Order: sequence, then C-alpha cells, then structure tokens
Amino acid sequence: MKYINLKQGLSLLLLFVPLLGVAHDVTSADQELLRNGGLWAYIQVGATHMLTGYDHLLFLAGAVFYLNSFKDILKFITVFTIGHCITLIGATYTAITANEHLVDAVIALSVLYKGIENLDGFKKMNVKSPNLLLMVGIFGLIHGFGLSTRLQSFDNGQEQFLAKILCFNLGVEAGQVLALIPIVLILTLSRKHNQFPAFYKAVNWYLVLAGIGLFMFQLYGYFHGH
Amino acid sequence: MKLNTSVISKEFKNKFCKPFFMLLAFMFLCSHDLYLKMETYFLQPNQEVTLSLYNGTFENSENIITRDRMLDASILAHGKREAINPNQWQDQDSTITQLTFNAGEAGTYVAGVSTKARNIALAAEEFNSYLEHDGVLDMLEYRTNHNLLDQDAVESYQKHVKVIYQVGDTKTNDWNTVFSYPIEFVPQTNPYEKYSGEKLEVQLLSDGKPLPNQLVFADYIKSAHAHTHNDHSHKHEHGGEAHSHEHPHDDEEHDHTHEPQEAHTHTSGQQLRTNAQGMVMVDLPEDGIYYLRTIHMINVTDSDELTHQSKWATLTFEITHKHDSSTHTHEEHHHEDGIPTWGFILGSLLIIGVLFLVFRKKN
Repeated sequence: MKYINLKQGLSLLLLFVPLLGVAHDVTSADQELLRNGGLWAYIQVGATHMLTGYDHLLFLAGAVFYLNSFKDILKFITVFTIGHCITLIGATYTAITANEHLVDAVIALSVLYKGIENLDGFKKMNVKSPNLLLMVGIFGLIHGFGLSTRLQSFDNGQEQFLAKILCFNLGVEAGQVLALIPIVLILTLSRKHNQFPAFYKAVNWYLVLAGIGLFMFQLYGYFHGH
Repeated sequence: MKLNTSVISKEFKNKFCKPFFMLLAFMFLCSHDLYLKMETYFLQPNQEVTLSLYNGTFENSENIITRDRMLDASILAHGKREAINPNQWQDQDSTITQLTFNAGEAGTYVAGVSTKARNIALAAEEFNSYLEHDGVLDMLEYRTNHNLLDQDAVESYQKHVKVIYQVGDTKTNDWNTVFSYPIEFVPQTNPYEKYSGEKLEVQLLSDGKPLPNQLVFADYIKSAHAHTHNDHSHKHEHGGEAHSHEHPHDDEEHDHTHEPQEAHTHTSGQQLRTNAQGMVMVDLPEDGIYYLRTIHMINVTDSDELTHQSKWATLTFEITHKHDSSTHTHEEHHHEDGIPTWGFILGSLLIIGVLFLVFRKKN
C-alpha cells in the first residue's frame, strides 16, 4: 500500500465489517407488503431494495466516480441498466436462482474491482485494464442476477408474475435514479475542490475496503448459514 | 380406646383416595379435540401443502383418525367442493393423520372433516371431570342442579372440523359456505380480510340452524413460522418414568406418554357465549393461528343405550396484521436484521472522512 499501511487498512476494515450486515435485508415485512400490496408494492420494494442495497450503490458510485462527462455517465449507466434488466427479468421469469450469499459475494467483488480500477490498481500491477464498458455490462448482469435471486426469495405467487417482475424492475430503476442524483451532484461539486484528489482516493479506498468486507461477510454467511 | 376403623377408612378414602383417583381420571380420561392444522394458512398457488388432523389439543396430537371414521372430508374453493380421496390421507406416525396436496389456484379455501358418531361409557366421576375440563359447563351445571352428579353416562360423540386458508392474493367467497355438518362454525367475514387488533363475528350452526346460548372457546398461537413447534415429540416422562394410557374419546388402541397438564388444555383463551342468532364476536388481538372450539351436549331421554349426545366443532384460520403506511415504513424493514440505514451511512461517512484526512495529510 502506498498511502496507508496494512495495519491501518485492516483496522478500518474491521471497523467497517459490522456495518455490512445491513446490505440487502429481505424481511418478513417486505414479504407481507408484497403479499397484500399488489403491483405497487413491487415497485416500492424494488426501489427500497436499490436504495438500501449498498453493494449496488457502491458499485454505481465507483462507476460514475471514474467518469468526467455527463454523456459518459449516461452511457455507462445505460449499459449497467440493460445488463441488470436482462438477468433480473430473465432469471426471475425462468426461475433460475443461486445461493444468495455467493451471488452477493460476486457483487462484492465488483465493488472491490471498481475501487482497484479507479485507483489505477491494474496499471500498478502491470496488468492490462479490462474494457470498462464491457466490465460494467458484465457486472450489470451479475447485479441483475443478485436482484433476481432476492426477488425470488419472496413468495411471489403465480398471478401477474411477469407484471410483478417488471414492477420490481421499475422500482429498481427508480431507486437507481434517486440514488444517482446525490452521488453525481456530490461528485460534480467535489471535482471543483482543490482537495478532490484526497477525496477521490478516500472514496475509492473505501470501495476497496467495503468490497473486501462485503465479500468476507457473504462468504461467512454462506459457510455458516447466516 | 377403640379405634373406629370404618370411620378412618372413610376419611382416608375421602381425603386421599378420591382426589387421587379424580386426578388420575383427569390425567387419563380427558377427551380429544379435533383440529385441521397447517404450518401456515397463507399459501402460494400450486405449492405443496400438508394438512394435519390434530386429535388431542391444538398443540399436540395424540391419536390418528382412521379413514372409516370420516363421513366427509372435502375442500371447497371457487364454488366447487371436492371430496378428498380417503387413500390420500397418510398416518405420519401413531398420532397425526396428514394429507399432502397441491394448493391450487389463488383464492380463499375451506376444508372440512366430519366424523361418525361413537359411543363411550363413563363412570359418573369421570364424566363430571371431563365436563369440567373440556368446558361443557352447562351440562355440568345441569347435573349439579338436578343432583345427577352420581349418575354414570353413555355418551354419543361426533366431531366436525373446518379450516379456512388463503392461497395467493385473491380473496374468494367460499369462506362462509355452510358445509351442512351437524354442527359447524361459519365466519361472517372472510378471516383473510380481517387483521390483528380487529374482531371477527362467527356463527355457530347446529343442523343448519343458529345455536344460541352455547359456550365457545377461542384461542390462538403465534404463527408457525414465528417459532418452531416440536409437534412430533409426544413422549415425555414424569419424574423419569414414562406412563401409557388410553383415551376414552378415541378408542383406537394406542400406547403413548405425555405431559398431562400441557396436553390437556381445552378451555384456554376467550370464553364466549353465542347470542340468539348463534353469533360470537372473537377478538383477534395479535398475529397468530386462531382456533375456535365448542362441544354442544344434550341429554338423551329416548334411548335405552345413551344418556347424552355431544357434537364437537372447531374452526381454524390465521390472522396477520394490516400492511399499509400506518403500520410499516421501509426504514423499519431494515431494522429487523441489523444496523439501520443511518448507521451504515454514518459509518461509511466516518470511514471516508478518516481516509480523506489521512490522504490529505499525505498529500
């Protein structure tokens, strides 16, 4: 590590790990809401899930942090959205699922990847950086599969099944837009500040730590049945 | 001084033997309620579901129900009542009879089981004890008032039970269909359109007519998914020594052990009395699986064999809470399993802030 040593990094990681338990709660209350709230409830739960699904938000923040122009942000977000729509709708409709912890562990790695890439980690390791747009598309597919796994963990019934999936997806997109507004705003304002380089490093190191923490948390959940 | 042994003997009998045998009678001779029970009463369309016949208390089943006892076993939905094939019932063990089936399309379903009448002969004290502990208090009062407590009884009993469960989101209108059982509960509102904190009006029908002035007991347990039931462990020991016994109201041969105080609780919960229209208003204080029970007993005067006839009814359903903005916020969804959203955000900001200070200093 160039700026912080290993001991400091691990201390920060341990500080952060307990906070990771809140990423992606699917609660009985959500289930009850879906059972009785109709299609609107699916939009609501989709949006809420995105807004409180910190791994998705961290990846999005990482993705837009690297980009300077609004056009680029729009392009990357569109690719990410198409990616997660494909797997969210497709996997849910065809009932393809996987262990939630393992899917979320891969999503955590996407956060770690984004932090490393933004910090020029690949360049420092003398590894050619993968195509950014392609990676965002692939991670979009993975995040969509994570969202699908989550949606499938609810009892959705057979009635209006496709409509429910689409409404959940619509909610996810609405949540994503709502989350992106403050992220892009803060980034735009911070770029003008002379302390932006320190802020940039701080946020991306945070993504690295969060990615590792989330990954460990999900693996712990997988092996200990949490 | 000459001891009057007959007086001592009588005293001993009254003070020690009588209560002891009464206790034994209570322990061994309590009757069995019959319930239709499910793990959850909220099902998904076409999911596989198991319906259990609990013959004992709502918590513990102590006997199976043999198929030849079933006069009717049927499921009603979408206006169509279908008989359950007797071969579909399976005895899970010596205590629980179960039916596994596909839940079918969305809707509000009613299932019912009606059993044949059987006779039982009970000594006067056994009969009185059973009347007391099973809540047949009107008959006990009648016997007390008419100095009949010392009369033995031969009772004909029959059981008729129903369950109402919800499949999917769609509420359909079969919940108030009369099954034409000799006695049955009929709710006046779909229980799945009622929520905890509300009340449900239920009518008691005997031979299709409202049954007034009848004692009804209503109780509930927390929903099955909220905690685990050790449904199948009926073997307990008393002071390390197990005992076995038979139950007079179900004369299948069986041999098992159990905790009498726990297993034979029949009159817990709300004690209600039907009005002139046979109606009772049941409180639904919190989420849970609710069960109503009643035993309607009459004196039989025109039979050489029988002294009493009883008709037993139960009804089971599940109640959950209302789900709207007044009872839920999304914030609280995330309070259930861990740190709230603000905790995560504050924690993240703190870490970013520390990192920022570190990097600013380095720069």
